[in-house]
Amino acid sequence: MTKLIELEWRKLEQKKVIGEVIIYWVILMFLPVFFLRVVMADLAFTDFAESYSSAMELMIAIQMGFVLFGASMINHVFIEEYKNKTMSLSFGYPISRKKLVMAKVWFIFLAIFLSTLVSFILSGITTYVFDQFIDVIHGQPTLADIIAFTARSIVHSAVVAVISFVPLFLFGIWKRAVIPTVICSVFLMQFPNFAGMLHITLSVDLLYGVLGLIGLVSVYLSVAKVNQVGDI
Amino acid sequence: MKDVIRTHELTKTVRGKTITSNVNLTVKKGETYGLLGPNGAGKTTIMKMLTGLIIPTSGEIMLFGKKLTESAKDGLKRVGSIIEYPVFFEHLTAMENLRIHCEYLGFYDGKAITQALDMVNLQGIDDKKVKDFSLGMKQRLGIVRAMITKPELIVLDEPTNGLDPIGIKDMRELIRMLNKEYGITFLLSSHILGEIEQMADRIGMIQHGKLVNEVALADIQKLRTDYIELVTSNVQKTVYLLEHKLQISNIKIVKDTRIRIYDTARSTSDISKTLISDDIEIEEIQKHTSTLEDYFYHQIQGGDKID
Repeated sequence: MTKLIELEWRKLEQKKVIGEVIIYWVILMFLPVFFLRVVMADLAFTDFAESYSSAMELMIAIQMGFVLFGASMINHVFIEEYKNKTMSLSFGYPISRKKLVMAKVWFIFLAIFLSTLVSFILSGITTYVFDQFIDVIHGQPTLADIIAFTARSIVHSAVVAVISFVPLFLFGIWKRAVIPTVICSVFLMQFPNFAGMLHITLSVDLLYGVLGLIGLVSVYLSVAKVNQVGDI
Repeated sequence: MKDVIRTHELTKTVRGKTITSNVNLTVKKGETYGLLGPNGAGKTTIMKMLTGLIIPTSGEIMLFGKKLTESAKDGLKRVGSIIEYPVFFEHLTAMENLRIHCEYLGFYDGKAITQALDMVNLQGIDDKKVKDFSLGMKQRLGIVRAMITKPELIVLDEPTNGLDPIGIKDMRELIRMLNKEYGITFLLSSHILGEIEQMADRIGMIQHGKLVNEVALADIQKLRTDYIELVTSNVQKTVYLLEHKLQISNIKIVKDTRIRIYDTARSTSDISKTLISDDIEIEEIQKHTSTLEDYFYHQIQGGDKID
């Protein structure tokens, strides 16, 4: 499996993907400070700037942006391979389709997980550095805050990676359509913000849990049904 | 000879439409087998099933004596193929494409890549991306990929498609050389009879998704028949003269004015002289050799099989 995951990386247009990740990192690095200082500065009902532990909630919401990167990865790894017919090369190898799909899924998972994790670190450091100069968040981070941030970064990176798979089965493997995949991801990314409007009263963490579960179902269907819907 | 491929009642249905139906195909070790049939007959679908690209709706495939299924695809390690047209990761170089291919098959021999590239005159393209290749170069690179892991069976769908005349000749020679010198079994497809005739030892005729007939080319050669065809307005008198004056018995009236003489002991000039001397007006007289095309046309129209 490790070899198959490595081969997925080698088949990719690496420069394009790396460039894309760098853009995400740069944007998301400054977004917490931008939100705290500009967008939410005058909002009475949110106070993410109250403490570092409050600011963490904002960070988590912002890193959901990587779900969109997930759509891009589904496009590169599945949809483009179907459209360019390079998927047929893979199916001609003496490896079962389920194993090939699983390798692609692991590759996407690792790519999103690691990118999101790095993004958490980068935006954490950037926010802290800005805070030292322009006082964005009240107080200083405690050791407990840093430990909590590390733990939540790891867990949330995994959650973002799993949520990214929601469009995989329907739009990635079955319909093989880029635009619906992207729209679906934008919707997922913004869903916690829409939840209130849709009268969904679940806590944000539970909401992420439900979306993650849907992502896992999508992965399961992608692997289980690849012989039925995955033909060239 | 052992069977490299044996299919039993191989059927593929897509959205209720039958693409191939109950195909029982046998390809023997060391032979070059040609699938012949018009466009859309189902040749590519059969090849896709044989190389694991699509899953049959029903029926079974035995590859090197072992059943080919989604969970047992080991036989594909011994197969090289180009189906439809060669597909590559266009943003990668030829070498990168070949290395990835070899690693998927668990084949690690750097020298083999260079040797194979030399064999099809594709040297010095190490850093060139595949997207910058011409169609002919891609076709040759496809061949390299198909043979690089030293397969025992190579499946080529319309192998000369898109090639210039020199490329076509090179391709034919390469197939012949790999078959004769390395004993590689080939399964080829084409809708052009002349193409198949020049390369195949045995031919399978596909029509409307069905394998109409499987026949050795040598057997068809034996069946070739020559005949003289003449056109005249006085058919009855001509037949009478041919039978009684020239003692020709194997005669067939094809149309109202057209007669075929299968007894070719008499020459065209003999027949002409005799008929003209009896005031028969000959509009046309010509000696024909029935071609493979006639044979296949006859088969496709529902002719008898050669056993």
